[in-house]
Amino acid sequence: MPTEVILIAAFGGAGLVYAAGRFSAALRNVLVVAVSVLLIGLVALSYGQARENTYYLGFLGLDLVLRHDALSWFFALCVSVVGAASLVFSLGYIGRSGNVNFYYFCMLLVTAAMLGIVLSGDLLSLFIFWEIMSWSAYLLISHKRGRALQAAMKYIVMSLIGSCAMLLGVLALCNAYGTLTLSKLAEAMGSADGGFLLFVLVTFGIGFGVKAAMVPLHTWLPDAHSEAPSPFSAVLSGVLIKMGIYGFILVMYAVVGLKLVLGLGTGWLNFHSVLCWLAAVTIVIPTFVAMLQTDAKRLLAWSSIGQIGYIVLGLAFGTTLGVAGATFHTLNHAFFKAVLFLSVGVVEYKTGGVRDLNQLGGLARRMPVTFACALIGGLGLIGVPLTGGFVSKWLIYKTLIAEGHPFLALAALIGTWGAILYIYKLLHNVFLGQLPERYAQMERPALSMTLPLVVLGAAVVFMGVLPGIPLRAVGAIVTSLGVGSFAATAGGFGPELGPLNTVNICFAAVALLILVTVVLRLAAKARRVPQTDTYAAGAFVPTGKYHHTVGFYEPLERMVKPYLRDRIDALYTWTAEVGRGLFDRIRRIYTGDVRNYVMYIVGLLALLIFVQLVWKMW
Amino acid sequence: MVIVEIILSLLIALGAGVFLVGLSRKVIARIHRRYGPPIYQPVIDVVRLFTQQSISHGVLFDLGVVLSLAGSLVTVLFIPLGGICPLCSSGGLLVVIYLMLFAPLGLALGAGASDNPNASIGVSRKMLLALAYELPLLLVLLSVMSHYRTVSIVEIVAQQQQGWWGAVPLPLSAIAAFLILPAMLGIRPFDLVSAPQEISLGPMVEYGGRYLALITLQGAVHLFVVIALFVNLFLGGGANVGTFLVKVLAVFLAGVCVHAVMPRVRIEDAVKFCWKWPAALAVLQMIIIVLWSSQ
Repeated sequence: MPTEVILIAAFGGAGLVYAAGRFSAALRNVLVVAVSVLLIGLVALSYGQARENTYYLGFLGLDLVLRHDALSWFFALCVSVVGAASLVFSLGYIGRSGNVNFYYFCMLLVTAAMLGIVLSGDLLSLFIFWEIMSWSAYLLISHKRGRALQAAMKYIVMSLIGSCAMLLGVLALCNAYGTLTLSKLAEAMGSADGGFLLFVLVTFGIGFGVKAAMVPLHTWLPDAHSEAPSPFSAVLSGVLIKMGIYGFILVMYAVVGLKLVLGLGTGWLNFHSVLCWLAAVTIVIPTFVAMLQTDAKRLLAWSSIGQIGYIVLGLAFGTTLGVAGATFHTLNHAFFKAVLFLSVGVVEYKTGGVRDLNQLGGLARRMPVTFACALIGGLGLIGVPLTGGFVSKWLIYKTLIAEGHPFLALAALIGTWGAILYIYKLLHNVFLGQLPERYAQMERPALSMTLPLVVLGAAVVFMGVLPGIPLRAVGAIVTSLGVGSFAATAGGFGPELGPLNTVNICFAAVALLILVTVVLRLAAKARRVPQTDTYAAGAFVPTGKYHHTVGFYEPLERMVKPYLRDRIDALYTWTAEVGRGLFDRIRRIYTGDVRNYVMYIVGLLALLIFVQLVWKMW
Repeated sequence: MVIVEIILSLLIALGAGVFLVGLSRKVIARIHRRYGPPIYQPVIDVVRLFTQQSISHGVLFDLGVVLSLAGSLVTVLFIPLGGICPLCSSGGLLVVIYLMLFAPLGLALGAGASDNPNASIGVSRKMLLALAYELPLLLVLLSVMSHYRTVSIVEIVAQQQQGWWGAVPLPLSAIAAFLILPAMLGIRPFDLVSAPQEISLGPMVEYGGRYLALITLQGAVHLFVVIALFVNLFLGGGANVGTFLVKVLAVFLAGVCVHAVMPRVRIEDAVKFCWKWPAALAVLQMIIIVLWSSQ
C-alpha cells in the first residue's frame, strides 16, 4: 500500500465528511465510521514495509519525502485505532447539537495530521503536519466554549512556543546540512560537534516536550484535557501527546543516534541523565497531584503526565529493554487511557455533564459494561499482571534495576503505587458505593458508546496475556533504531532476560479464580439484600443523606497539599502577566494623534543624524 | 509434577497460615495473662462460617471476595517455600509485588458494592496505609534486587544459601522491612484498617457466613505470603520446607509480640511513621549500595 494513499484517504475523508454533513447527518455518520475503519485497514495492510518516497515538489529547494518503517507503522496504528474508537464514540456523545460537522471535520483532520507526522520523511513536512495538528486540536479543545476557550488559549500559546523552538532547530539543521530529509540528516549528523547537537536536541526537546507535556512544560495539559469533549480527550491523551514521544524517538535515535546522545555532556552532568531525572520528576509529582483532584477528567489528565514520564524515562535510559518498554508503554497508554477517558465520557454524557467525583457514585449498577471496561483500563494503568501496562512497566523497571539505578526505579514504582490510589478513587467515587437517587432510573448507554470501550478494553487484556505479539512489532522498531535486539516469547521473556511468562500467570489466576468460585458456590446460599441494607454497628445511618466518599484521601491531602502547589504554572502565568503589561505600555505609543507620529519621525531623524555625526557610521 | 507442586504449596500456605492465626490468638492471650482459645479455633470458625447463612449485595460483592482469595493464592505460587516453587520461572519479585495487589483490590471492590460508611472509611485507610508502607517496602525490595543484581527470588535465595543471609549485607533494609511488617500484616499498631472496635472490620463489615470464611482464609494466606517473602529475602529462605517453616514461625512470633503490647495509631501517624524511620533506614541502605557498586 503506497504511503501517500493513507494520507490522501485521511485528508480526503475529512473533507468528504464535512461536505456530506451539509446534506445529511446520517450520511455523514456513516462516512465517519467508514473513513476511520478504512484508515485502520490501510495502515494495517502496510505492515512490514520499509521505504522512502521522494516527491520533487521543489519547495524552497527541499525535497518532500514520505517514509514508512516499523516506527511509523507502530504510531500510525495507534493513531488510527484510537482515532476510530473516539470517532465511533462521538456518534453518541456529540449528538445533534451545535457545530457537529465542524467537530467531525476537525477530528478527522487531527487524525490525518498525526498520520502525516508519523509518515513524513523530512522535517519540513513533519513541521507542516505538526502545525495542522496543533491548530485543529485548538479548535477541538475550544469546542465547548466557555472555560474551554481559556484552556485552549493556554494550550495554543504553549504549543506555539514549542513550535517556534522546533522551527529554530529545523532551520539550524537546514542551514548546517542543506537538507531536511531524515535519512540524509542521520548520515550527516555523525560528524556534528557536541554544542550543535545539544542545541538541536534542546530546541526539538522543547517543541516535543510541550506536546508530550513533560514537566516543566506540562501546564497546558490539565486544563485542555478536562475541558475538551471527552472523545477528543481520549485522542489528546491517547495519541496526540504521543506525537511528542514519536518526535523524541525520531530525533534522539533515528536522526542523532544513541551513541552521540549518550556521549553528550561531561561527567555527572550529561544530556541523558538530565532527561532521566526530569522524567522521574514527571512521574512522581503529577501522580500525587492526581490523587488530590476531584474532577474525573482532571485526575486522568494529571495521570497522563505521570505516564508520559515512564515513556520518557525508558527512552532516555536508552537500553534495549528501556526503549522497548517505552515504545510498548506508548501503545498501552494509548489504549488504556482512551478507555478511561471514554468511560468518564459515558458517565459525563449520561449524567448531563457531571464530572465531580464527590457527586457521583454507584453507577456500576446502571452501566456494568462501562464499569468493567473502566476497571480494565484502570488496572492497565496501574500495570497489574494480565494487562498490557504490566509488561511495558516491567521492562522499564527491569532495565533500571539491572543497570543499577535503584533511585530511578523507585520513582517509577512510587508512581505506580500512587496510581493505585487515584485509580481506585476514580472507580470508587464514580462506579461504587452509593447510587444517588437521581441516577437510579438511568438508562444503559448506547451501543455506539460501549463498543469502542469493549474493543479497546479487550486489546488491553490481550496485550497483557499475549505480549509476545505486540512485542514483535516493538522488537522491529528497536532493531531498526540500532539499539540492539531482544527475544520475546509469546508470554514474555525467557530466563536470560528475567523470568516472565504471562500465559502461565493467566492460567494460574484463572484456575484459582474458578476453584475459589466453586468453593463459594458449594457453601450455604446467601440472601440478596438491597445496597442500603447495611450493618452500621448500632449507629443510625440515614440513607441518601450522606456521601461517604467526599474527601476520600483527606488525611493524605492535609499532609501533602502544602508541597504540591503548581509553582511552574504560577511562574508561567506571572510571565504572561508581566509580558502583557509590558506590551500594553508599548502599545500606548500608538496614540492615533498625527502630531505624536510626526514627533516620533522627527525624533528618529534627529537620532540618526546624531549617530552619523558622532560615529560616522555610513 | 508442576501440578503436584502447585497443590502442595497451596496446602502449605493454607495450613501454615491458619495455624499461625490460631497460634497468634493463643500467644497473645498468654501475654495478656488469659487462657485463650485452642490453636485449632480458626478451623472451627471457618467450618462454622461455611454453613451459616449470609447476605450478598450483588455480583461485585461476591467477585471481590473471590478475587481477593484467588489473588493471595496465586501469589503463593511465585514464592519459593524452601525449594518448592511451581511458577518461579514465570515471574520474579516484580510479579510478586504486583500480584499482592489483587487481594486488597478485591476487598476494596467488594466493599464498594455496599452502602456502608464503615467500609468506605476502611478502604480509604487501607489505600493510604498501603501508600505509606509501600515507600519503604519498595526501597527495601529495590535494595535487595540491586544488591543481588536480579529480579528472580529463586536467584536471591540461592545466592544467600551460598554466602551470608540477606540480613547481614543489608542490615538496614532488614530492620526497615521488620518495622513495616505490622503495617503489611494489618496487625497492631497498624490495625487501623479493620479496627474492630472503631469501624467494625472496615472493608469486611458487610461480609458474613461463607464470605467471611473465605476472607479468614485469605487473611491467613496473606499473613503467610508476607512473612515468607521476608524470610526469602533476609533470612536465606530455606534449604527444605521444614527449616523454611521454622523461620516463618520465628518471624511471626516476633511480630505477634509487638502486636500484643501496642495500641492502635491513627492513619496520619501511621503514614508519618512509615515515611520517617523505615524509609530513612531503607534510603540509607540504598545509598550505600549505589555508592558501593559505583566504585
